[in-house]
Order: sequence, then structure tokens, then C-alpha cells
Amino acid sequence: MAALFGCTVLRRAWLGPSSLCCRTPGAPVSAAGLRFVSNAAPEDNRSPIIESTEEYKYVERLIPSSRIPTPPKHTGPTPSGWIPPADSPPSLPYMIRRSRMHNIPIYTDVTNSNRKLTLIRKVEGDIWALEKDVRQYLQEVTGKELPTQVNEVTMTLKVKGHFDKELKDWLVSKGF
Amino acid sequence: MLRFSFIFRGRGVAKRFASSFSNESALPSNLLLPTNLVDPDRLKRPPPPADSSLPPLRKCDAAVPAHLTPVQTWVESLERQDSEPLGVAQLHPDVFAVPPRLDILHSVETWQRNYKRISHAHTKVRSEVSGGGRKPWKQKGSGRARHGSIRSPIWRGGGVSHGPRGPTSYYYMLPMKVRVQGLKVGLSSKMAQDDLHIVDSLNIPTPDSQYLLDLIRHRHWGESVLIVDVGEDFSENILQATANLKTVNVIPAIGLNVHSMLKHEAIVLTLETVKFLEDKLLWHDERYTPLYPFKLPYSDFP
Repeated sequence: MAALFGCTVLRRAWLGPSSLCCRTPGAPVSAAGLRFVSNAAPEDNRSPIIESTEEYKYVERLIPSSRIPTPPKHTGPTPSGWIPPADSPPSLPYMIRRSRMHNIPIYTDVTNSNRKLTLIRKVEGDIWALEKDVRQYLQEVTGKELPTQVNEVTMTLKVKGHFDKELKDWLVSKGF
Repeated sequence: MLRFSFIFRGRGVAKRFASSFSNESALPSNLLLPTNLVDPDRLKRPPPPADSSLPPLRKCDAAVPAHLTPVQTWVESLERQDSEPLGVAQLHPDVFAVPPRLDILHSVETWQRNYKRISHAHTKVRSEVSGGGRKPWKQKGSGRARHGSIRSPIWRGGGVSHGPRGPTSYYYMLPMKVRVQGLKVGLSSKMAQDDLHIVDSLNIPTPDSQYLLDLIRHRHWGESVLIVDVGEDFSENILQATANLKTVNVIPAIGLNVHSMLKHEAIVLTLETVKFLEDKLLWHDERYTPLYPFKLPYSDFP
């Protein structure tokens, strides 16, 4: 009994939406018989289409910038430990510029899992004076004579071993 | 007897012959120089001194780093052949005074030559040469060497075993920043060798090619001149004057490239071109890595 009742309910549910699908008289039938196009004339009491470009400002403010911004002026130490360069460059025969993200350009490299290198890039001026100072500083810090390599074409300095923290602090203390 | 005059380029005859040992005299005693020697560097106008008191006609828009000073050059005019320079302009050192990286210039020049190259050299392999499917004679008994086909590479008329299999493309792209650095190095090299001239605008009085040639000869700019201007509209006079000249060419600023800079002896830029180039080339020093291709809109694309 309950099953019969459920069956009729289901059937009515199936037939219910079909009444919406009843064709209005005079409407054309497509080949599939499922979709049909209404050929009724457009009603005249619809509002005309308005083109407006005023809302584009909401899109424009979402488009990202392509330039890296200059960091704001900090008074005192920054939370991340970043230290800005000195306002006037130090009076040394060489100059080390900051990277485009305003960091010191010292990088470490490991080749063949046992060869450690520290690379100082973006050097301008007398690179041999910088090499002398770096060797002397690392001699004081480690007590060892470390081999260094100067590339005058690319203006880079390579030092054997990982000394990025020490060299970064040293350069920041100089004001680069 | 000399049939043609020697032209020594560079910093001057004396410096080229200067020995690296300072205690020896500048010129060797047994040097024989021809009498009709022309030294264009001595005839050219020297660049303005670094501490000149003239107010600059043009200052750098972008901030110059504190440890560098702007490059100073004369701003000239093309109106009259023998006119004096109009004033002094300041150019950004990160575009016009970068270290002379000849290796970058070489790599950008070779890239410009090769990335468009498609070589159509093509040879047929033994399987592509027509014929040669049948064994020419039986393996044993004929007395001749054993062969499997008449188109094998050891036969006359046979296929080539390791020949070109074209068309081959030699396309590759150098990193964007390397190509930009190549442009900067090219401009700096031209500036350092006194071959870069700044002009206020490209208005010449006549559409005559001879006027331009006389002007270039009078000012000792060199044999070939590349004139660069911003925008697509050029004055009719300059276009007509350079139309029939092979060694003097006009290009828009977006068409500036290392090959053209090396091919022409002198380069002439207008003040708007300098501004355009500084904008475009300096942007690469302070840009993010592209989030999406730069062809799509960014809020502050140069």
C-alpha cells in the first residue's frame, strides 16, 4: 500500500514539471524536441541598454603594480631585522649596491654537496681593495687564510666557505 | 705612396702608440706616419667638462644613485650646418655609463643574428632516395663486393648518412635582463667613444640628402649615422633626406637594437628619445618578476 502511494507521488512529481514543458500554441519545435526558441517580439516597456565605463575603476585598483616600492623610513630597528643602507655612501674605494629587493647581495652556493662558496655580487669600483678587506676581516673572524676569486668582468667576489651572515653584518656596519 | 688615408679611431694616435712602460717616450723614434693622417677624435668637439657651470637643458627624471654622477653631453641642433651646441644635457649613469661588458654585447649580437635563422639545408637519407629497394646482385658468387641496395651512402648517387636534416631552427631567447643590459652597454660604449650625439629635434631646413651628408662631414660624426626618434610621425624632410642614403638611417626608438648600434659609427638621439630610453631601460632595474606576461596590463608599466 505504502509502495503504491509512494509510486503515485513520484509519478506526480515526474509529471508536475512536464506541465511547464507544455508547448505554448504556435511555438516552433526544434529537431531534438527538447529546446525551443521563443519568437515573441521584444517588449517595448524594457529599459534600453546603457554602456558605462565608470565601474572600471573597481577593476583598475585591483591591477597589480610592476615596480618594487621603496621601503618606508623606519625609526629604530625593523621587526624583520632589515637595516636600510646609509643615506650617503661610505667613502671607500668600492661600492656594493643593494639588490632590487633592497637586500645585501651576498649569496651562498653548494656544489657537489661538499664545496661551499660565498658570492658577493653588484660590486662597483676597486674590487681588489674589497677583496683585501674581506680577506683581512675573515682572517680576524676565522683565523684562516681563505682562498678568494675576483672576476673583474662580472665584478663579483667568491670566497671559499659559507660566510654570508658575517659578511652581511660587516657590510651593513660599513653602511652599504 | 699612399693611395688612401689612414683613419685611426679611438683616443688619438699618440695614445694608441703609447707604450705600457711609462719611462719610455710616447712615440717610438722609428715611427713613420703618413702626412695625410686624419684623426677624427682631435677634430671633434670635446665633451663638456664634468664641472661645467652651464645650466642643464635636461635633467634625469629617475633618481640617480648617490655614488654616481650624471653623464653630461652637448645638445646640438640640425637646423644649420655650423651651429654651436644649444646647451648641456644630463644623462642617467645607469643607462649611459655602465661598465663595458663586451661579452654581453657579443652574446646579444650573436643572438640577434641567429634567433631568426632557419636553415633549409636538407639531404635525402638512403631510405628517401628513390630506388634502392632491391639487392643489386646475389650475395655470393658474382665476384663483386656484397651490397644490399644501390642507394646506400657508399654508392654514387646514394643517400647522405649524416647530412643536414632541415629545416632546422636556431631559435633561442636570451633572458630579458641580458638583452636590456646589452642595450645599456651599447649606449654606454657609444657615449664613452664620443659617438653618441644628442639633438633637440629632427627638423632640418631642406629635404636634401646632401645637406645631411655635409653636416655629418663638417661635424666629423663618422661614416654612418643612426638617427633615433620616438613616435611614428617623423618630419617629411628627414624622411626624404635619408630615403636614398645607405649609411644614414632613421629608426623609431622601439627599434633600437645592438646590431644597428654596432653597424653605424655614430648615433643621434633626440631629447624625447633619451627620456623614453631611460624610462624603459631603468624600469628593468626595479621591476618584479612577471606575475603574468608583461603584454597584459599592469598599473604602472612604463
